[in-house]
Amino acid sequence: MNFLAPGAFFLGLLLPVIVAFYLLKLRRVERSVSSVYLWRRVVRDVEANAPWQRLRFNLLMILQLLFLIALILAVARPFTWAEGAGGQAAIFILDSSASMSATDVTPSRLESARQRARQLVGDLPDSARVTIIEAGQEAQVRLSASLDRRQAYQALEAIRPGMGGSDMSVALELASAIAARQPGTEIFVLSDGRVELPQRLTLRGRLRYLPFGLSGENQAISLLTLEPGAAGSDLTAFAQVSNYGEEPARRRLSIFAGGRLINAFDLEIAPGGVEAALAEGLPPGTEAVEARLDGADALALDDRALAVLPQARPVRVTLVGGNNVFIKTALSLLPGVEFSQVEPSAPTGEEETAPTAEPPAEDALNAADLTIYDNQVPAALPPTGSLLFIAPPASTELFTTTGIVQGPLPRVLDLNDPILEHVTLAEINVLDAVEIPLPDWALPVIGGDLKDDKGQYVRSVPLLFRGEVDGRRVAVLAFDLHHSDLPLNVAFPLLWANLIDWLAPGARSPLPAQVAPGERVTLTPPNPALLSDAAVQATITRPDGSTAVVQPENGRLIFADTTQLGLYRIRFGSEEDELAFTVNLFAPQESNLLPADSLPGLEGPAGTGGRDSQLGQREWWRPLALLALGLLMGEWLVYQRAGLARLRDALAAGLRGITRRPAPAGAQRKGRK
Amino acid sequence: MSEPFFSEDFLQRLERLALAARHAMPGQTQGERRSTKRGQSVEFADFRPYVMGDDFRRIDWNAYARLERFFIKLFVEEEDLTVHFIIDASRSMDWGEPNKLRYAARVAGALGYVALTGLDRVTVTAIGGGNGQPVFPAQRGKRQALALFAFLQALKAPQNGTPGDPAAQLRAYAAAQSRPGLLVVLSDLMHDGWVEGLRALAARRFEISVLHILAPEEIRPELNGDLKLIDAESSAEVEITADYEVLTRYCQSLADWQADLRQFCRSRGMAYLPIETTVPLEELLFTWLQRQGVLR
Repeated sequence: MNFLAPGAFFLGLLLPVIVAFYLLKLRRVERSVSSVYLWRRVVRDVEANAPWQRLRFNLLMILQLLFLIALILAVARPFTWAEGAGGQAAIFILDSSASMSATDVTPSRLESARQRARQLVGDLPDSARVTIIEAGQEAQVRLSASLDRRQAYQALEAIRPGMGGSDMSVALELASAIAARQPGTEIFVLSDGRVELPQRLTLRGRLRYLPFGLSGENQAISLLTLEPGAAGSDLTAFAQVSNYGEEPARRRLSIFAGGRLINAFDLEIAPGGVEAALAEGLPPGTEAVEARLDGADALALDDRALAVLPQARPVRVTLVGGNNVFIKTALSLLPGVEFSQVEPSAPTGEEETAPTAEPPAEDALNAADLTIYDNQVPAALPPTGSLLFIAPPASTELFTTTGIVQGPLPRVLDLNDPILEHVTLAEINVLDAVEIPLPDWALPVIGGDLKDDKGQYVRSVPLLFRGEVDGRRVAVLAFDLHHSDLPLNVAFPLLWANLIDWLAPGARSPLPAQVAPGERVTLTPPNPALLSDAAVQATITRPDGSTAVVQPENGRLIFADTTQLGLYRIRFGSEEDELAFTVNLFAPQESNLLPADSLPGLEGPAGTGGRDSQLGQREWWRPLALLALGLLMGEWLVYQRAGLARLRDALAAGLRGITRRPAPAGAQRKGRK
Repeated sequence: MSEPFFSEDFLQRLERLALAARHAMPGQTQGERRSTKRGQSVEFADFRPYVMGDDFRRIDWNAYARLERFFIKLFVEEEDLTVHFIIDASRSMDWGEPNKLRYAARVAGALGYVALTGLDRVTVTAIGGGNGQPVFPAQRGKRQALALFAFLQALKAPQNGTPGDPAAQLRAYAAAQSRPGLLVVLSDLMHDGWVEGLRALAARRFEISVLHILAPEEIRPELNGDLKLIDAESSAEVEITADYEVLTRYCQSLADWQADLRQFCRSRGMAYLPIETTVPLEELLFTWLQRQGVLR
């Protein structure tokens, strides 16, 4: 036992003073009594003559001496050397990744890390500032350089097990930045070491890595999909189970659909191996399948997975006018495209006339994701959906036609344009094209160079341009496909697919079926028109039943709170249809539980990583001060015994409800005492 | 003296009481109590043979007719009784709230009035108050009540001077009395001499009642801390640390002392009655003293 303030022992000189007070008994108060006759009888057997004997059994003095001794000891600030933190500041980085939920140490890795952190915080010198960083999917400073231990404990308590990985490198960088401001900082990393760190990480402050976890025995569902089966109508679930442990494992994989057990597989998985299971012939109406690994292992999070059918809704394309074989062929070859053809309505056409406008045609126009006008312009634009004009014969409210140009030479204007992905425009000739000055909303994709007879460049006209007007996507191809050899070129199907992709984005897969925990999801309503409605909102029901509402921001609906594992359901506005996606922990980094003995990349020559232990000072003045307080209270109680006894008697009498019964004799009274 | 010692109403109630004597005792003059003497009352006592000089008026002629011998018919004499009050007037009595000496004087006054009403002789002696002992000489008759009250009201503890030994004073008192009678001692008995003095009185065949008067402060002392206790009488000092244990021990000591006194009194045929001065006088007289057989 050592002392930080040994000078306090000079206070020990007060001890003889207390004894002297008792010897001298300076504080006698004189009190007149009728007679000391009875008191003599009392004192006779108590009083001893020698002053030293007088001190015997004086409980008050003994308590006062003990109190003073405890107080002096507390003031002297004794400490012992203990394994723990001894620096002037400490930074605790708590890993809250999914692997920290493993229960190979009871109650869990995170819980024991929290307990260890609490203990370390308690052992810190009082002047040490505490910083607490949670290394979850995003590193987060929970407490910054605080002297308040209660805050530190609260911050530690507030850390919840996460579902994703841990951003340890950012946490370490944060810690390093904080350590740079306060010298003598120790950085404690409480983790299982299943983290990714950059190769070269320079850190300020002393780093101590405290690993948690015992074994890596864990099996996980590493993949689960639900796809349309080969037969077409029924569905197939595909699951994959990985064994991350070092022992062969035997687990049963159960697959449920709609809450009913559909299939079960007994899988023998070699260490480090993967086994797959295929459940075929699921009923076509199946919305979601669930796979469960029966039995228990260290990490329960990855023993369950959900999958939904990828929600591929066909793109509805309406072709107005013309009888373009090329377009029809291209559309029919594109997967997930459902196209219909309507005759142009009466007043639009100039060359080709189709006098009747049938109501079904109107409906088809209204519901279409994309409307293609081939050699047509409508009198009124359809209310929703993207538009593609091919060789528009007349001006519309979106653009103006100024004439026909002959023999433009196609030239790529922007190589990085998504429409031109994988597309080569060499060897393509165009007979003539409609001249359309580029509207201000548009972005030219392909230009056509015009040359005079001598082959000199004159000017350029846009052949293909695209843009967004009033929240809808519009593209214009200025030449008739029949007046070009483009449809015969290999570039045509690619260009066409890119065009459709851009014009009807997401319609083919409005949602990813699988999302990693914490990943952002862009929600695309099945009806693209909804997006243009500023008031549209998406209501998301989380796996635990709670709901969240997402408002559109810059025309997009983004949901980022995917921290829970399971099935999320989305409803757009007041629409009936529900979409769904699942969040699963398909993360080998987290499912592989084997704790690392050192932090990867940090075990350098400085020996900063690893289980290094060092001594810190653990102070003991608090319990001593508490002891002193207890002794002081005890002394007071002893001193007030008579009063307390009277109080007790009075209370007891009051409780019995007995008023003071007058009695003439002390003999009657004596029983009370 | 400004206020009357007792109220009219109270005195009227007192007249219904009488002092009880357990034994017949010889008196001085005609009274209402049975005497040990034979005399002239209507209560027949005994026969005895006639001897020369007897009053022949008292010969029982019926007995003579039957037996032809002279017998004298004897009757019980009814005489008065002297009631002695001994009041401890030491400084230790002049203490407490209510004051013990005042209380003792009022008790003596009430009992004395009862005795005077019953045609008994009353004498009061205050002892413990130094040399000059105030004495109320034996008087008879209800008319002496006012004088008795005045005497009692004037009783005071001496302000200074060494306290006398009650044993010697009581011995002297016992020797001086020609006729023993009822004797009521009112004292706090806070002196070892009292027990000795009582022993001397008991030897003179007094019928003694000891009224042990204590103040509430003496029964339940409310003391705290380190104290130097000073005797009001002798100025003797005792240093105590009044904590729970000491107070508990004091109460135990008081109880033991009272038990010893009770035992002492019982063994000598005395009535012993511990009294706290907070007990109202009415209750003491009309309940407790009757129950103890002092009054009836």
